[in-house]
Amino acid sequence: MGSLVREWVGFQQFPAATQEKLIEFFGKLKQKDMNSMTVLVLGKGGVGKSSTVNSLIGEQVVRVSPFQAEGLRPVMVSRTMGGFTINIIDTPGLVEAGYVNHQALELIKGFLVNRTIDVLLYVDRLDVYRVDELDKQVVKAITQTFGKEIWCKTLLVLTHAQFSPPDELSYETFSSKRSDSLLKTIRAGSKMRKQEFEDSAIAVVYAENSGRCSKNDKDEKALPNGEAWIPNLVKAITDVATNQRKAIHVDKKMVDGSYSDDKGKKLIPLIIGVQYLIVKMIQGAIRNDIKTSGKPL
Amino acid sequence: MGDGTEVVVRSDRISDEQVAKNELLGSVEVKDDDKEDEVFEEAIGSGNDEQEEDPKRELLETDDLPLEETRQSSKDENEVEDFEEAVGDLDETSSNEGGVKDLNVDYSVVGESHGAGEAGFDAVTPKMNGDTGEGGAGDSCGKVESRLDVVVNTEKGDTNGSNLAAEDVSIENGKTHSFLGNGIVSPKNIEVVAEVISKDDGIEEPWNDGVEVENWEERVDGVQTEQDVEDGEGTTKNLFEERTEEEVVNGAGTGKNLFENGSGSVCIDNESEAKTNGETGAAYTSDIETNASGDKSVNDSTEVASAETSSPLDKSSSGEKGETEGDSTCLKPEQQLASSLNSNPESTEIRSNSGSPGVTSRENETVRNSNGGHDVQQRPQPNKDLEKQQSSKVNVDPEIKENSHVETEAEVVSSVSPTESRSNPAALPPARPAGLGRASPLLEPASRAPQQSRVNGNGSHNQSQQAEDSTTAETDEHDETREKLQLIRVKFLRLAHRLGQTPHNVVVAQVLYRLGLAEQLRGRNGSRVGAFSFDRASAMAEQLEAAGQDPLDFSCTIMVLGKSGVGKSATINSIFDEVKFCTDAFQMGTKRVQDVEGLVQGIKVRVIDTPGLLPSWSDQAKNEKILNSVKAFIKKNPPDIVLYLDRLDMQSRDSGDMPLLRTISDVFGPSIWFNAIVGLTHAASVPPDGPNGTASSYDMFVTQRSHVIQQAIRQAAGDMRLMNPVSLVENHSACRTNRAGQRVLPNGQVWKPHLLLLSFASKILAEANALLKLQDNIPGRPFAARSKAPPLPFLLSSLLQSRPQPKLPEQQYGDEEDEDDLDESSDSDEESEYDQLPPFKSLTKAQMATLSKSQKKQYLDEMEYREKLLMKKQMKEERKRRKMFKKFAAEIKDLPDGFSENVEDESGGPASVPVPMPDLSLPASFDSDNPTHRYRYLDSSNQWLVRPVLETHGWDHDIGYEGVNAERLFVVKDKIPISVSGQVTKDKKDANVQLEMASSVKHGEGKSTSLGFDMQTVGKELAYTLRSETRFNNFRRNKAAAGLSVTLLGDSVSAGLKVEDKLIASKWFRMVMSGGAMASRGDLAYGGTLEAQLRDKDYPLGRFLTTLGLSVMDWHGDLAIGGNIQSQVPIGRSSNLIARANLNNRGAGQVSVRVNSSEQLQLAMVAIVPLFKKLLSYCYPQTQYGQ
Repeated sequence: MGSLVREWVGFQQFPAATQEKLIEFFGKLKQKDMNSMTVLVLGKGGVGKSSTVNSLIGEQVVRVSPFQAEGLRPVMVSRTMGGFTINIIDTPGLVEAGYVNHQALELIKGFLVNRTIDVLLYVDRLDVYRVDELDKQVVKAITQTFGKEIWCKTLLVLTHAQFSPPDELSYETFSSKRSDSLLKTIRAGSKMRKQEFEDSAIAVVYAENSGRCSKNDKDEKALPNGEAWIPNLVKAITDVATNQRKAIHVDKKMVDGSYSDDKGKKLIPLIIGVQYLIVKMIQGAIRNDIKTSGKPL
Repeated sequence: MGDGTEVVVRSDRISDEQVAKNELLGSVEVKDDDKEDEVFEEAIGSGNDEQEEDPKRELLETDDLPLEETRQSSKDENEVEDFEEAVGDLDETSSNEGGVKDLNVDYSVVGESHGAGEAGFDAVTPKMNGDTGEGGAGDSCGKVESRLDVVVNTEKGDTNGSNLAAEDVSIENGKTHSFLGNGIVSPKNIEVVAEVISKDDGIEEPWNDGVEVENWEERVDGVQTEQDVEDGEGTTKNLFEERTEEEVVNGAGTGKNLFENGSGSVCIDNESEAKTNGETGAAYTSDIETNASGDKSVNDSTEVASAETSSPLDKSSSGEKGETEGDSTCLKPEQQLASSLNSNPESTEIRSNSGSPGVTSRENETVRNSNGGHDVQQRPQPNKDLEKQQSSKVNVDPEIKENSHVETEAEVVSSVSPTESRSNPAALPPARPAGLGRASPLLEPASRAPQQSRVNGNGSHNQSQQAEDSTTAETDEHDETREKLQLIRVKFLRLAHRLGQTPHNVVVAQVLYRLGLAEQLRGRNGSRVGAFSFDRASAMAEQLEAAGQDPLDFSCTIMVLGKSGVGKSATINSIFDEVKFCTDAFQMGTKRVQDVEGLVQGIKVRVIDTPGLLPSWSDQAKNEKILNSVKAFIKKNPPDIVLYLDRLDMQSRDSGDMPLLRTISDVFGPSIWFNAIVGLTHAASVPPDGPNGTASSYDMFVTQRSHVIQQAIRQAAGDMRLMNPVSLVENHSACRTNRAGQRVLPNGQVWKPHLLLLSFASKILAEANALLKLQDNIPGRPFAARSKAPPLPFLLSSLLQSRPQPKLPEQQYGDEEDEDDLDESSDSDEESEYDQLPPFKSLTKAQMATLSKSQKKQYLDEMEYREKLLMKKQMKEERKRRKMFKKFAAEIKDLPDGFSENVEDESGGPASVPVPMPDLSLPASFDSDNPTHRYRYLDSSNQWLVRPVLETHGWDHDIGYEGVNAERLFVVKDKIPISVSGQVTKDKKDANVQLEMASSVKHGEGKSTSLGFDMQTVGKELAYTLRSETRFNNFRRNKAAAGLSVTLLGDSVSAGLKVEDKLIASKWFRMVMSGGAMASRGDLAYGGTLEAQLRDKDYPLGRFLTTLGLSVMDWHGDLAIGGNIQSQVPIGRSSNLIARANLNNRGAGQVSVRVNSSEQLQLAMVAIVPLFKKLLSYCYPQTQYGQ
């Protein structure tokens, strides 16, 4: 475990109202015998994964730079507070030059060996209008890597939530449309059946990481609709963490992926048998030929 | 004083431009150095000239002094005070003194010009001496200010008491400087300096001017000046540490050079100054630094000065500094450009500028006749003139800045791309977008009053006057183009006007500037520089606009490309201010290509909307489809400009747009990017937080983002020169608007006019280019790669190659036959030799084994002899048969048809049943496998002969198929053979096609003409060659041939001529000589080859063969001579020695000796040597690697 578990200093930086709420949520978790929680953050590049992590922790734990690609490998940030540990794993962007960055996914996978993912935060931007093939591919890649079940442990986080939607659309309509289209993509990308998908009920949380985010009266960072988003996010995280589904445990098998060695083992004797028979048949035919034609050459 | 405020504005502008420059790449600096050097050198020349004239100047000086003194009254006091203060401080005194000296020096230099100016202008404005002085200086400088301007100057001078300013201006010129110096400095100083002055002429370069100006400033400001200077330095250093340092170094170096080159005394002066006072030296150098650093440092200093000082003097001085420095920078680029073989259009233009001043000065009857050196000096002056005007009018600075700015851009461009030089003629257009790009960074508030056009305008105006006076020889055609250009200028001004942009807008100014440059460039080709002033154009434009918004003869087609959902349709709606296309945030709004036309501010604009492109690689096929439909759509009506849209607030750092950009480049060709503007939508969005959580500035954000996109486009287009202008776009309805209802961005820019202006500017420039036919720019595809000069040597050598003429099938072997005819007589006696030999029985192996050594030898010799004879006999028989056949065929021709059928049956043609052809002989290799079987093929009755092409040296020599070769011989009318052969080879890197068609006709006795057509890939292009050759076989031993060829390669045609002579001296010696020339585009290459062959008497049997080849090629005065010799000597029965050597006139050569033998197997033991060596190296590794 590379990263040290540190006291959660940034927690004190939150406004009092946020702190209260967070403590409440963590208390709930503790009641369910969860003393630690691991959150994995995935998403395309430049959507604000690292910023979200920073906002969540309340510290500048991960370097964020607007124009350079963030670190190329996943980073785990662990903070403990009052006996409860939260681990957040920030990851590199999953898209590279129009392709899904499978290499990055491999890295992430390798990083996650022997860890359990309680919650996956799938991050995208709210203020983008279109969903394209690439989003689908990203979802597909995630599904291939971690299995369909991961989506039951997923929160869809939409960053850049503080913006004014384009003409003639209200904020609510826009955001719901946007999240719907993304959810649809996730469904399509993960090839879940409808029922399955409805069961998983991926929740959508909005986030605004900018320092210019407006604040509500309690000095919490708030969305245009007035809600403080960090407590919201944490609440959603705890909800997902405590839902009935099993957390995703990444083990060696999942990392190495295929069971290619095991696959079709049973067929081996069968094939050998068939081969034997065929050889026999051919030999018989040859003998037959020799007999009928009289002389061997 | 309105001036004061304006001055400040000016300095701001300067700073902006500095910023812009900051962005420039480091490579620029390097070039700057060069320029400086050159400038200096030339300046030196001028200095000498001036020296000669010194006495006169001094006289002038004396005359001037009183005038100046009166002039400066108030200022003088200030200055004197300052000066005294300065004296108090050692440092300052020293620096001041330096300054004084410099001034004096300048003064002397200026003297003449001043005098000239006075001569011309005193009459006009007798009252204001200072002003006249300025005017005179200006005139002398070579740029004649229009009289109006002068008057203006005088007026302003009066009102402001800006005499000083005027003086300052003169200081800029360097010559006027002297005035100031005189005024300020006491007569004693002048005297003291006098000697120095005379010597210092050389120093008057822009460089020194800058220095002086600063000194001057010091005086004026008194104590403050030092700080200013330091501040300036500090800022410059901070901003551009590297650059300043480098330049300082350069500056110092150049300075020294100057000194050395110039009069020795001068050197002494400067150096002594530097040495005497440590601090002065420092100050001096610092000045140099600032100067050297160019606009930035200068600007900084100027800014500081203006900020601190409220007096008009200071401002003017600061302004001057800026200007002068600007000048110096300008000069450098100019020089550089000029030196670089005019490669840049701008450079040539600049030259024309310099030339024109010379003309004007002459006309003014200045004392100096313009020499080369003089011109050099004057180059700075055009700018300075402008500056003068500016100082009076306060507009000048922007112009200067722009000059320098533009030029630096040009440099950047050239420096960035080594290919620039090649495509310089074409560089104007690319440079333009670059320029716009530089200017475009959205930073300029429209309020700025830079007036780049002024520069051109004034210059051209003046020139025009004079030109009209002096030149009667100008062609009408020229006037016509000028008229047209003027119309374009008016048009553009009207456009700008309608868009609410003043001519001072950076983009507008730049376009005007470029138009001016283009005109001048053009003018230079003809006789004089163009004669249209900006003022007239603007007046005309205003008049036309005032007359009513009558439709303008201008329309612009903009094509919008971009990712899906970035707001293409929305942008179009914004452009027209109405909903032309419906948009939907979540749906692909635009499904097909459509265009819309409308009026924007009375300007006809057509916009093509395209479906959104998709970023992922997997979608590129879809993109291609979309783009192909776009291509089809725009085929008829191509867009003038492409607007590539992306979102400002998407931080695509994963190069996610690359696939898309690549696809665009693939479909439209990279040239699409040359006329593209990058539009960043969502421009009102908030910049993201910086690394440490602090908000980054909007401008930084925009700059970075545009840089990212520009970089991506550069990559996609594969052209690092590209600098697409960037325009911001915000379509959101909630976007802030100004009073006029226009959308305003966070940085205060009104984006729509800017965007449109950029588009129009591009169109206008394209029009101007088309009009002036600058370079070989085809307006449709302005950036088509310029064809390189055809590879003449290659073409020539392929022309010189002697190739056999195609023969009729039955004459296939005719060539040899002809030659062998020579030997017939000698052969006759041997004819029956073989038959006369006693019968010979070959032995079996077992019998051989029983023979003794000598017997064996005898036996083998005998056998060899017999073999030889047999072969000879066979050959002879074959020959005879062929001859018979020929005769027979000739007879048959005369006979009725019935017989001929018979004959055909006999001759039979190729086998009607496919027959395996003999195995190819592959080169020996160490492979375990002998892959000949792979290349076996059947010879069928098919007339087409198709064979594989083997590349035995390829990396996969195992498989070795590189291509296919097909051949066929047709016969037309039983007489004319036509051979067609084609070959296609392809490897991983490139594909080559070669197609040859040849036919020949015999006419007359021994004359035949062949006509051939070749098509082959040369580099990346196809070369089509048409050649014809006629052979004269009039003599038995001498055959001559002459040929012509025309080759079309790319878009260049080259024609060649060759003569060939084949001499067959005897049976064993023959020689082929050929010579030829190839011309293309005024380029000529000569070449010749000589090939001599010495061979065994009975060649095919005897293996002795020596070949000597010589080739000569002359191209571009570059003579290449190459020779090779190859000799093949049989040693013994089954050994061969082959020696080969070649050498060319560059000293490169090769010698190889090869022995092959089939009987001395022990020779193979040689192969052990390298093995052994290798093993040895394992044993003693240290000897090998020298640890």
